[in-house]
Amino acid sequence: MTDHRDLLRATPSLAAVLAIAGVGMGLVVLTSFGLMPLVGAPEASLAGWRLSGTDLLLGVRETLVIATASTVVACAIGLAVGSLVLAAGPGVRLVRAVAVVVLALPHLVGAASTGLLLRDAGLAERVAGAAGLPASAGWPRLVGGPWPVATVLEFAWKESAFVALVVVAALGATHVARTETAAALGATPWQRWRRVLVPASLPAVGASGLIVFVYTVGNYEVAWLLGRAYPEPLPVLAFRLFTSVDLTDRPAAAAAAAVTAALALGTAVVVAVLLPSLARALGHGVGAGGSDLAARAGAAR
Amino acid sequence: MTNPRARRTALVAAVCAGGLVLSACAGPVEGPTTQASGDRPWSEVLAEADGQTVDLWMFGGDDAGNAYVDDVLAPAAADLGVELRRVPVADTGEAIRRMLAENAAGRTDGAVDLVWVNGDNFATGRQADAWLCGWAEDLPNRQYVAADDPLVTSDFGVPVDGCESPWHKAQFTFVHDSARMDDPPTSLLGLLAWAEANPGRFTYPAPPDFTGSVFLREVLYATAGGVEEVPAQFDQAAYDDLSPALFDRLREVAPSLWREGTTYPRDEQELNRLFADGEVDVTMTYGPATLEQLVAEGTLPETTEILTFEEGTVGNASFLGLPASAQDRAGAMVVANLALSPEQQAAKADPSVWGQFTVLDLDLLSPAQRALFEDLPASTVLPPYEELSENAQPELGSGWVGPLDEGWRRQVLAETS
Repeated sequence: MTDHRDLLRATPSLAAVLAIAGVGMGLVVLTSFGLMPLVGAPEASLAGWRLSGTDLLLGVRETLVIATASTVVACAIGLAVGSLVLAAGPGVRLVRAVAVVVLALPHLVGAASTGLLLRDAGLAERVAGAAGLPASAGWPRLVGGPWPVATVLEFAWKESAFVALVVVAALGATHVARTETAAALGATPWQRWRRVLVPASLPAVGASGLIVFVYTVGNYEVAWLLGRAYPEPLPVLAFRLFTSVDLTDRPAAAAAAAVTAALALGTAVVVAVLLPSLARALGHGVGAGGSDLAARAGAAR
Repeated sequence: MTNPRARRTALVAAVCAGGLVLSACAGPVEGPTTQASGDRPWSEVLAEADGQTVDLWMFGGDDAGNAYVDDVLAPAAADLGVELRRVPVADTGEAIRRMLAENAAGRTDGAVDLVWVNGDNFATGRQADAWLCGWAEDLPNRQYVAADDPLVTSDFGVPVDGCESPWHKAQFTFVHDSARMDDPPTSLLGLLAWAEANPGRFTYPAPPDFTGSVFLREVLYATAGGVEEVPAQFDQAAYDDLSPALFDRLREVAPSLWREGTTYPRDEQELNRLFADGEVDVTMTYGPATLEQLVAEGTLPETTEILTFEEGTVGNASFLGLPASAQDRAGAMVVANLALSPEQQAAKADPSVWGQFTVLDLDLLSPAQRALFEDLPASTVLPPYEELSENAQPELGSGWVGPLDEGWRRQVLAETS
């Protein structure tokens, strides 16, 4: 019964999402098969997919590298920052305020700032040079280099604030009771963090990590500003082809957009299904007796 | 998963879909290009234009160009009863996409009344039959433009057919810092050899960036053995014959480029930044008028100079195009005509205003009108147009652009990255 009511309540928003995203995706797929050309008559064809075949594969690889690395780093930093906030030590308000400010900044501003900071002859290299470090001789290629370092750092910097706030929101109400109980049971601060906070926050980290991953897969501007010209992640590939002066490139652009969406949706569905058991499994893995302590601490509230 | 952030996941798909939904409403427009009623008296056009608001979509990253339109052209248009609004875009393609979507939907009340355009963007509009044609030759001030000037009758090999009105001329220009380069090369092949002798000091923007794309065509002329060896219109046999030498040479020079050619700057602005930071010694531009301002504001050093090549460089003209979907057509024609007037062309050619080269033939002007140009102060950075355009090479047809860009991507970028 509850399931039915939940479904009923969700129907309006589901319908809106399906209407907008579904119609859009339908049109993108039709375009990728040459059925909705901007000029000329519609003609079913795989040309769009063939045209960008190699680029698509390289694009998937590049996108996965960026998204996976960004998600892992963002989750790790986010959990650490979230732990700091939950520890309620001095300066907590400041950490929380900084996280909110970081979250409010558009990615475009973040990407431009990261570029100014990390590129060759950027602020970091100049500061390093002024400090007497031998930076100017071989500043690492962080922007536009062989590895998407700057792209990943920008995503990780901004999304870690998001992960931290989700962790704080998910645990905030129950955290004090849990840690107090764990402390009463004789857990050291390290044990309280490893065996109580980490397992309890895993569902929140997993869910926000999934959002970070899916968002990163579809983001265009950060990789465009900070990445190299080749190979391109899928959104950059799609945008370049979509804005090509040759209108016959549109099917290839649509193919790249369709693969981007499939990658994001596929990951979302798989992770959403697996997340509960994944969190349980990871929770068990956090030290022997960790989950037991967490369960007892949880039961005590 | 109900967090709104999750909805951003299909960002690119949504961007694509948005354009497609608009364009899907009526399907592609077929049939002959729309003709303007160019035969009616100009006074009627002026009367109709009175009170109209013309939206001019143009690249917004050129401060001098923005200032010219806002402070010089718009007030003059206001005197004729036309309000001129500048709509800045990061890339002219944005205006083209908007116009194509409106045209495909069969609208005649479109938001784009005029576009600063040329080359492949113009060709894209022609491909989709989205320009209003046959009006530009009837503008009264057209009398000052030489009828046989190839730069204004054809735009990258695509016949203009009165679908756009010339605005100014441009010359592709290589720029170096004379303080850093003792013995500058005098030809394009010489420049590539210089790059090999000075590893890491040269690069070019990655096509399909506009500037990088022109650079490719310049190198094609050079490796083919001259302009006359390359047919102006794209031809697959000629491409198959000529492109291997081009891509071989660029692959060969790649290890000597900035960052060993494993990556390239994205656009002209990025190359200018590398040049200004002293990371490379040469930059290049199709808009040399911007150099004056870049030097004046200190972005580029005062020792910035033009590299002059014996074989010349390519030249083109840029235009004001009128979309078939434009709402204020009469007003747009009045603005295009005003922009062609000797007074406006002279004002725009002033290096302290914008410094753009005129499309007018000075021999067709009255002595008083000619004096407007003769009295202009000389640029501190640029030589006069006559000198800059010496041995000017014609632009290749727009059909070459796509295959060359894609060929470079596959055969140079993919193999040297």
